[in-house]
Amino acid sequence: MSARPTAVPVKVVGGLFVAFLAWLAARPFLGGVGGALVGALGGAAGAWRLPHRVLVRVLWTVPLFFLLIFTAVQLMFHVPGDPFASEKNTSAEVRAEQQKHYGIPEKGFAGGCKFFAAYIEKAVVDGYLGPSIKVQGRSVVDLLLPALPVSLALGLLALTIAVFLGLLLGVVAGLRPSTWVDYVAMAFAVIGISLPSFVIGSLLILGLSLTLGWLPVAGWGTFAHLILPAVALALPYAAYVARLARGGTIEVMSEDYIRTARAKGLSEQGVVLKHALRGAIVPVVSFLGPAAAGILTGSFVVETLFGIPGMGRWFVNGAINRDYYVVLGTVLIECGLVVAFNLLVDFGLAWVDPRLRGKT
Amino acid sequence: MYRTLAGLVVAFAVALALVGLTFSSSAEGRADYVFVNGTEPKTLDPQKMTGQPEGRIADAIFEGLTFRDNETLRPVPGSAVSWETSPDGLRWEFKLRPEAVWSNGERVTAHDFVFAWKRLLAPETASEYAYLLHFVRHAEAFNTFGSQAAALGGPDGAVAKLRALVGATPSGLPVARWQAFVKEVGLTDLLTGVADPVLLPALTRATGTFSAAEASALADALEGERARRAAEHAAAVAHLGVDEGVFAPDPSTFVVELRTYTPYFLELTAFYPTFPVHRATVEARPDDWFQPGRIVTNGPFLLHRWTVNERIRLHKNPRYWGASSVSLETVDALPIENSTVAMNLYLTGSVDWSPAGYPQDLIDVVKRRPDFYGEPGMMVYYYRINCTRKPFDDPRVRIALGLAIDRQVLVEQVMRGGQVPAVTMVAPGIPAYRSPQGTLGFDVPRARALLKEAGFPDGKGFPKVALLHNTSEAHKKVAEWIADQLRRNLGVDARAVNQEWQSYQESVRRLDYDLARAGWIGDYRDPNTFLDMWITGGGNNQTGWGDAGYDRLIRLATKPLAVVEMPAAERDAFLATLKERPEAERLLAAVAAAADPKARLAAVDALRLHLFREAEAILIQDGLPVIPLYFYVVTGLVHPRVEGFHSRVRDVDGSMIPNLQDLHPFRDVRMRGPAGAPK
Repeated sequence: MSARPTAVPVKVVGGLFVAFLAWLAARPFLGGVGGALVGALGGAAGAWRLPHRVLVRVLWTVPLFFLLIFTAVQLMFHVPGDPFASEKNTSAEVRAEQQKHYGIPEKGFAGGCKFFAAYIEKAVVDGYLGPSIKVQGRSVVDLLLPALPVSLALGLLALTIAVFLGLLLGVVAGLRPSTWVDYVAMAFAVIGISLPSFVIGSLLILGLSLTLGWLPVAGWGTFAHLILPAVALALPYAAYVARLARGGTIEVMSEDYIRTARAKGLSEQGVVLKHALRGAIVPVVSFLGPAAAGILTGSFVVETLFGIPGMGRWFVNGAINRDYYVVLGTVLIECGLVVAFNLLVDFGLAWVDPRLRGKT
Repeated sequence: MYRTLAGLVVAFAVALALVGLTFSSSAEGRADYVFVNGTEPKTLDPQKMTGQPEGRIADAIFEGLTFRDNETLRPVPGSAVSWETSPDGLRWEFKLRPEAVWSNGERVTAHDFVFAWKRLLAPETASEYAYLLHFVRHAEAFNTFGSQAAALGGPDGAVAKLRALVGATPSGLPVARWQAFVKEVGLTDLLTGVADPVLLPALTRATGTFSAAEASALADALEGERARRAAEHAAAVAHLGVDEGVFAPDPSTFVVELRTYTPYFLELTAFYPTFPVHRATVEARPDDWFQPGRIVTNGPFLLHRWTVNERIRLHKNPRYWGASSVSLETVDALPIENSTVAMNLYLTGSVDWSPAGYPQDLIDVVKRRPDFYGEPGMMVYYYRINCTRKPFDDPRVRIALGLAIDRQVLVEQVMRGGQVPAVTMVAPGIPAYRSPQGTLGFDVPRARALLKEAGFPDGKGFPKVALLHNTSEAHKKVAEWIADQLRRNLGVDARAVNQEWQSYQESVRRLDYDLARAGWIGDYRDPNTFLDMWITGGGNNQTGWGDAGYDRLIRLATKPLAVVEMPAAERDAFLATLKERPEAERLLAAVAAAADPKARLAAVDALRLHLFREAEAILIQDGLPVIPLYFYVVTGLVHPRVEGFHSRVRDVDGSMIPNLQDLHPFRDVRMRGPAGAPK
């Protein structure tokens, strides 16, 4: 690694910041001491191991998070409705009491600023992300923490299915463009993209659960519960991956280095596995960053259809109920995942495509 | 490259282990009885909850003085083993069941009830159901008068502001200025239930000017009202829970004193806001004492697990005094809102009871299933009319709108679920109550004539009407159909406008709408639950409508004896305002002729119901701030193996009446045969 003039301060500041981030993230679950330990280790490891450009990117997330939370708070304080609205009209006293209890100032820009300041203070100083107002007696962490592994489990399986199935179809189609193989694969892709997941999910339920009785229709608790929703969630992504992979493969196969490889006497199998696959992966990896963030945070539609206690519904219900703290919790998670996956994608791209190395 | 691949494999394995972790908590197997509970309960704190999903769990894990008998839904002895009432029906003395214990083994005492009832009424609890007990002596003062008196008094209070306003307008106070003041300080909210002869008419006065003397009398009356509220609040704080209102002379005696005779009082002792809570547990963690592991309860079931968005698992409570008659060992409540999911689960035998659990579009198919039940419910679907907006401030316009809708077609062709057309606001099935004749039958010629009278022949010149509804396919369908009816029958240009739930609520509250869809579920079986909301400035009124005669009838209905005790001249004047005077006179005579206290109570109650009938007549014949459309039906699917599930219940006289609120206490539910897909 080459030493650059700015490397040292960036390493120090970045390391400290990584430590801080790790501390923030770990504290709600591990407590103050555990959080500090994780933070110190994470910071040291970050300063020592993380490349310069990662640290710069991580530093950039600070203003990003602040801006995002501020915007989210202001939006919440400007849309009509508040967490205490109820069909039964509550008296002014009841409302004032509830607002005081949950620390919700009056609506409007000033109220939003006040709420923002209090939220940041609580989050940074106490490591507390606030209570849920609609699910009383539970904090945001209480709600999102059990939902996170559920969505991750589902998302991971779906992501795996999407990538493997998509790559398989895409590469096979790309190797034999304009043949019946290609047409079949792309017909699948078009169907997958155009059919929304609730239609796919409903068809799967109808066929595999209600008619054949092989898999449970809804619920959570065993691996069997995971299969249908994962497939429903994966198919549209698989279709998209297939189209990207097909394009990538066709492009790569016309490259000079493929001809060189063939000229060197490499078997067709070797050409495909060593060279074509890499080329096919490049557009897929760029797509996977935002897609993974989306797929892992859960899908409201799929979760509702299969009665899964994942995170997707908090994104929707939090906003519909104006459950302010829950909304901000979901914003934090989504933002964190998007940032993390974009970073991963950049490195993934550098790994699959040597031409991109050294550029940020 | 292979090292990185190995890393990926490891990461994947770790993630799969995470998956395993999420399953470990769920490996409990199916409960004896599984039902779809709709929305996730917001809380399990009986004094803070509202809503049916919460209520089903509360009924299972807590027990009030009484609980509802499964076959009649009438209150039977629960935590209280017996009770006595005074001859005037105002004082109730409950004897607590000695063997009733909390889940931690402590005895359930009268002090637990005093604590819970005071907690329901305490302003800091912010309970939405506090008003239910306002008929208890001191209760309303304890609940609301403190903050009202504070807002009225003081240097920045409403009284001081009004005095300043009166001082600034020596030549008289224009009503517009007065109404602006009323709005600014939220005076109607501060004067709930006001009966002052100066203030009450002033609140609804719309035109003219108060003379200087009148204005100063107004300020004096406001000060008087403030002083009265402050004094009553002080008395309530000193005595409620101690020696008046609700109190416990000894641990096994619970006394309730009512301000007015309330026939539905006993029914409320089986309703969750009045359930006892364990004081030490609540005070230790006021915000989350009801989580599993912490919660202390006294009902037939225990809260075993509550995984948000997954299930609530209940276990039978071995310490419950009636445990021997509880058959179910485990119950699962699934928080599923989506009707398709509910139906799928039901069809595969994963769920035994699914209230309203089928997609609306399938009603024609579902209706024919033997395991389907559908009965009228105590709920009315209606439209509010904004009476502060032109041209809806004209009652003729409102009545014309009400007459131009063919409800029969609505329920038969649009809703199709067996709903009942509604021309009254009070839902049918309320014991001994008969609604007055509705004038809202489908009558297009009369509607057109009224509209013409109001200055809009054939709908010409009538502004565009927006029919506001909250976002939902079902509401949209109704709104669009009504728009079509108004267009076709009146020539009025109407269209459906949807707003998302919160925005909709705010629009309605701010009176920023023309017509707005609404629904009301009766909380208890008495006309009061449908009628007291329409008093002038009532919190749930939200139409801007007010009628002094209506307010007076509702007020008198809470103390019907006041009519009996009125001086002859005043009573005569009052009777002259009634629509069915002979009937009222007959009932008054019956009260006078009653031989014993019990007969007298019954006669007074008949008079009370008649006062409600007169009030409802004003509401639906003259004022019409609302257009009732239909009464909901309570529907659902229940597995044939479920026993002790009654969609119709036995009434006092032995006849069968609908289970209006779809209540099926698990205490008496039994399973016949194993779980499985219903045939």
